[in-house]
Amino acid sequence: MATNTVEERVGGRSVGLTLVAGAIAAVVLSPLVWLLAGAFEARDSLSLLVADTTVEVFVNSVALAAGVTGASIVIGVPLAFLTVRTDLPAKRLFTVLLAMPLVVPSYIGAFAFVSAFGPRGRLQGILAPLGVESLPSIYGFGGTVLVLTLYTYPYVFITTRAALKTVDTSLIDAARTLQHDGWETFRRVTFPQIRPAIGAGSLLVALYALSDFGTPQIMRYDVFTRVIFSAQKYDLDLAVLLSLQLVVVTLVILAIESRVRGGGVQSDHPGRRASSLRLGRLKVPAVLACLAVPTLALAVPLGILGLWLVNTGRTTSSLAFQPEYVLNSVGLSFAAALVAAVCALPIALVAARQRGLVPAALERSAYVGYAIPGLVIGLALVFFGAHYGGEFYRQGVILLPLLVFAYVVRFLPQAVGSTRTSFEQVSSTLEEAARTLGEPPSRAFRRVTLPLVAPGVLGGAALVFLTTMKELPATLLLRPAGFDTLVTHLWSAEQQGYYGQAAIPALVLLLVSALSLLVMVRLEGYDVE
Amino acid sequence: MSDNGHRRRRVLQAVGAVGTAGLAGCLDVFGGGGDNQTFQPGQIGSGRGGDYVPAGTPMEAMPDLSGTIDVYSGRGQALVGRLFDYLHEQYPDLTINPRYEDSITLVNKIREEGSNSPADVFYSVNAGSLGALAEAGRTATLPDDVLGLAKEEFRDPEGEWTGTSGRARTIPYNTDTFGEGDIPDDIFAFPEASRFDDAMGWAPSYGSFQAFVTAMRVLNGREKTKQWLQGMLDSGVQEYADEFAIAQAVADGEIQAGFANHYYIQRVLDARPDAPLATAFTTNDAGAVFNVAGAAVVDTANDTDMAANFVRHLLSAEAQEYFITQTYEYPVIPEAQPIGDLPPVEELSPPPELDLSQLADYGPTIELLREVGITV
Repeated sequence: MATNTVEERVGGRSVGLTLVAGAIAAVVLSPLVWLLAGAFEARDSLSLLVADTTVEVFVNSVALAAGVTGASIVIGVPLAFLTVRTDLPAKRLFTVLLAMPLVVPSYIGAFAFVSAFGPRGRLQGILAPLGVESLPSIYGFGGTVLVLTLYTYPYVFITTRAALKTVDTSLIDAARTLQHDGWETFRRVTFPQIRPAIGAGSLLVALYALSDFGTPQIMRYDVFTRVIFSAQKYDLDLAVLLSLQLVVVTLVILAIESRVRGGGVQSDHPGRRASSLRLGRLKVPAVLACLAVPTLALAVPLGILGLWLVNTGRTTSSLAFQPEYVLNSVGLSFAAALVAAVCALPIALVAARQRGLVPAALERSAYVGYAIPGLVIGLALVFFGAHYGGEFYRQGVILLPLLVFAYVVRFLPQAVGSTRTSFEQVSSTLEEAARTLGEPPSRAFRRVTLPLVAPGVLGGAALVFLTTMKELPATLLLRPAGFDTLVTHLWSAEQQGYYGQAAIPALVLLLVSALSLLVMVRLEGYDVE
Repeated sequence: MSDNGHRRRRVLQAVGAVGTAGLAGCLDVFGGGGDNQTFQPGQIGSGRGGDYVPAGTPMEAMPDLSGTIDVYSGRGQALVGRLFDYLHEQYPDLTINPRYEDSITLVNKIREEGSNSPADVFYSVNAGSLGALAEAGRTATLPDDVLGLAKEEFRDPEGEWTGTSGRARTIPYNTDTFGEGDIPDDIFAFPEASRFDDAMGWAPSYGSFQAFVTAMRVLNGREKTKQWLQGMLDSGVQEYADEFAIAQAVADGEIQAGFANHYYIQRVLDARPDAPLATAFTTNDAGAVFNVAGAAVVDTANDTDMAANFVRHLLSAEAQEYFITQTYEYPVIPEAQPIGDLPPVEELSPPPELDLSQLADYGPTIELLREVGITV
């Protein structure tokens, strides 16, 4: 009798939950409807999709996504392992340092790398006395992969870390007692448990690489976003068709990730602590590796921004820095993070707890928005707002809500990915146990599961916050007139060649983002050491 | 004609020299460090006595501006922000809501916004995007008394938009390497002449350069343009991010010549008056296109008269002086003349058969650039 009641409640809740998740997914997918409608109107131009240049763009984009994702795993996973499972000195410091490149918008990184490694770049100038006469060209595929990897590997690093921390170490201890060596233990016990997290992080990296505009633009590498940006200037049909093709590529990547993920291993004892691996003679190389990556990723842009700041050059009062830019950026990012975290909960819960096509489709649909370039989402929402917003649109009052919506569409997967992996590692048997002890389901969820997944939820929200701080194209299109953020101010100063005045908002952006990252590390970092 | 023209030019050179010196001293807009908070008309004449007033129709003689006006500005805040501030100072009841974005992005935005666009005025860096907006049927015809302020060649024949300031395509060259006679007056001579091998720079991702190639395509056809682009690539032309960088590189001797809009040269010379940098022009071809920045009233404007009146103010004596002295552009009203070491507009030789709104068609230009392997 009592058991029946529990099952009924569970069944009812799961249907309701699926409906809520479905509604969120539908709203998030709505910009895609506009894209499809646009593509339908552009069907006369369909032949463009098989033109030589389009094929080349397709190949370039896939190669870029694969290259950046591969490199990010190669860098991110070992570094995560070093900072969680070994006796690396100053682990907390290295954790922060290694996550820090995430605060640097990749277009600032790209600009700095071009500035530093260009034909007559700064670095060559500095190295000239040492006999360095030229540096390998930074433009094209290699440079784009390098820059994007340096600023996206932290997605893999952070998600992998989170998973490593909740790995059931009793299994590791068991493996050791069975005389498995370190590598064997990692391969057979640890890796299966962190594989979903690596997959989630890699997915974010791949999608970021596909959707980023600034870096390929600056590094002169023809991928979808770059060609879409040119195309939308003279041929909106072509831009829409290419955007749709980009969405298809994204769906393929989602499918691949889904296969790779498989079933993660769940634990009934999340977060039990194991003794750290001793690095021994590997300690020095490990420390050097942990230093080299952030040095390259952080020192180059900081150095270039510093030079811009010192050699202010020309200035104009029109581009004077206003403190309200910080407030605008932080306010928008906070709103986006909050909405995304709340929207991610039901989707992540359904995806983690239910099997079958519907939950998988729900979760995947949350990722599709990430593939639609910010520029295209911006145009779609301008269209939507202008047609249905009436006077509210003309007065500009619905622009900020639309902007937050655009951010949520774009960055929801970050929250979903992080939240889902947390749910997956907390066995639902804990919650079921609470329920058999008489707790109502919602209360059991709140008291048992939610505290355990809180770090994942907050981690996801912090990621959304950080990414929103850096977002450019949708912000440019949707912000109300006279409403500037750090990024829009930095962009206009840089575009007009006022580098000194671009350096100030860039540095403030890095500072605010870095602070939010520190908060994030503190939140999840109660057992960092 | 030449008598009158020559006399005017001599006078202007004198004015220009004084004007530039005055600028370098008290404005220092584009030089290092300094900043002038507001624009005050009459500064151009501060070096020549107190009786100077800017040429053209003063704002005083125009109907007052008041209320709120939404300006979609493809011209950057750094350049026109202070002009808007000045207008607000003159008319405290006027609120200008500028939206600064790429010109063509704003055209797309107005089209996407349909009949609910808040835009009153579209203010663009080039005739191409003005033509695109007019072609989309999203402009309101300007009244004759506004159009009549600008010279005929700088406004739309249909009266949908008017130029507000002009920019000439030029060849900046290094005077240590070349004399004036070394620079051909035919744009097609550059890939042929061996003295320009590994000596020139261009900025293919820059909008003005693309407008220049579009003009060549319209005037000379796709094949000849492709050959020209290929020829320049074969002669080792260097790529720069923008045309200010080209003017700087020519002044530094990093390259010996390039393709750039005229005002970048003036900006470099303003900061470094002794730089070995001079301006040359080609004749009657794409290399000498004279494009305009300009404005149109958007068809959804709340108050079309007010919006047209705003455009009228961009043609006032004060605004034209602002463009002359602050952005180093050519004025578009017949009364005013450029400063610096620039010939008056009558002495330029842009291709006579080119209609500026034809430059809206730059899609095929981008394709052509990609075809020869230039990634833009």
